[in-house]
Amino acid sequence: MTDSSAAAGALAVLASGPMLAIALTLGAFLAAQWLFARFRKPLWMPPVLIAALLLAVVVAASGLGFEQYYTGAAWLTALLGPTTVALGVPLYQQMHHIRALWKPIVMTLPLAATLAAVYALGIAWLMGATPLVLASLAPKSVTAPIAMGIAEQVGGSISLTLGGLLITGVLASLFVDWIAKWLHIEDDRIIGFALGLNGHAIGTARAFEISPMAGAFASLGMGLTGVFTALILPLIWSLI
Amino acid sequence: MVMLRGFLVLVVFFLLGEALRLFAGLPVSGGVLGMIMVTFTLMLRGKVSDELAEASRGLISVLVLLITPGVVGVFFIVDQFSGYWTTVVVALVVGTLLSVFTTLLLMKKAADLSKEGGDHD
Repeated sequence: MTDSSAAAGALAVLASGPMLAIALTLGAFLAAQWLFARFRKPLWMPPVLIAALLLAVVVAASGLGFEQYYTGAAWLTALLGPTTVALGVPLYQQMHHIRALWKPIVMTLPLAATLAAVYALGIAWLMGATPLVLASLAPKSVTAPIAMGIAEQVGGSISLTLGGLLITGVLASLFVDWIAKWLHIEDDRIIGFALGLNGHAIGTARAFEISPMAGAFASLGMGLTGVFTALILPLIWSLI
Repeated sequence: MVMLRGFLVLVVFFLLGEALRLFAGLPVSGGVLGMIMVTFTLMLRGKVSDELAEASRGLISVLVLLITPGVVGVFFIVDQFSGYWTTVVVALVVGTLLSVFTTLLLMKKAADLSKEGGDHD
């Protein structure tokens, strides 16, 4: 406290390596799990949102800054690649459930994945959004690495796309819980599929909190939506 | 060691996915391609090894941890939304609400339909 420049110097040294960002993320993750259980698991405040809020406050208040935090946290986010691959294992383990439901999946996917983009685009267009904003929002329901590729192809801004899809993922996790309750849907397979289709990795993480079966269907929904949108959207975009 | 062997398998499949993406010029990410390849490989083999099941369970259990740094970014991109902030938020909130509703309804109707259509297939 008495020597703030020394404290700032120490922070700069600690922040130059990844360990500070990793410790903060792990701490926030564990604190969020504890708080979530403590407040009797509120659906409107999933652990990922609690952890992100805690981190945002610490990162902003400490003067660490988001850029530096995110660079350090890259040691964690690099694992997202192999973790996406790992989703293939529950997908295989739940294959008999997926086989039993393949017809509804095939019937739902093309329309639902298209509408996931079209609704938001239609609203943004009606409100007078610029072509740049429209192109950035188009891949909003697609998992991040694929969405970045699509945004590039249709001429959107990568950071706006990432922001849009992060918000979409959090919103989708909340809305699926609410609307499923409202429609009296208790089938983990349907709930999981809707989470993955609309909320990509964030929705899939939420689905694994519900059950391994919901998680497998979310992985399937996320993968199929990603592949479908990546193939179709640039094609449609070139037509209009 | 068991966990590491499974992790190696996952990393190798990720690299294979990346290689396929680069060589075939596909617009799909290496992770998703790797996921598809793992699923098909397991279907062909007809079983999953303990080490691979263990490693994937471990990674998936920390999926929320891994996406958290990206979600933190939402609170720092507000400036980039300035000007069209309202448009973006309304489009995302209403659009996502409608699309979640549509997916759940379509999936429910389709599931009921295929149940009525007979379970003989």
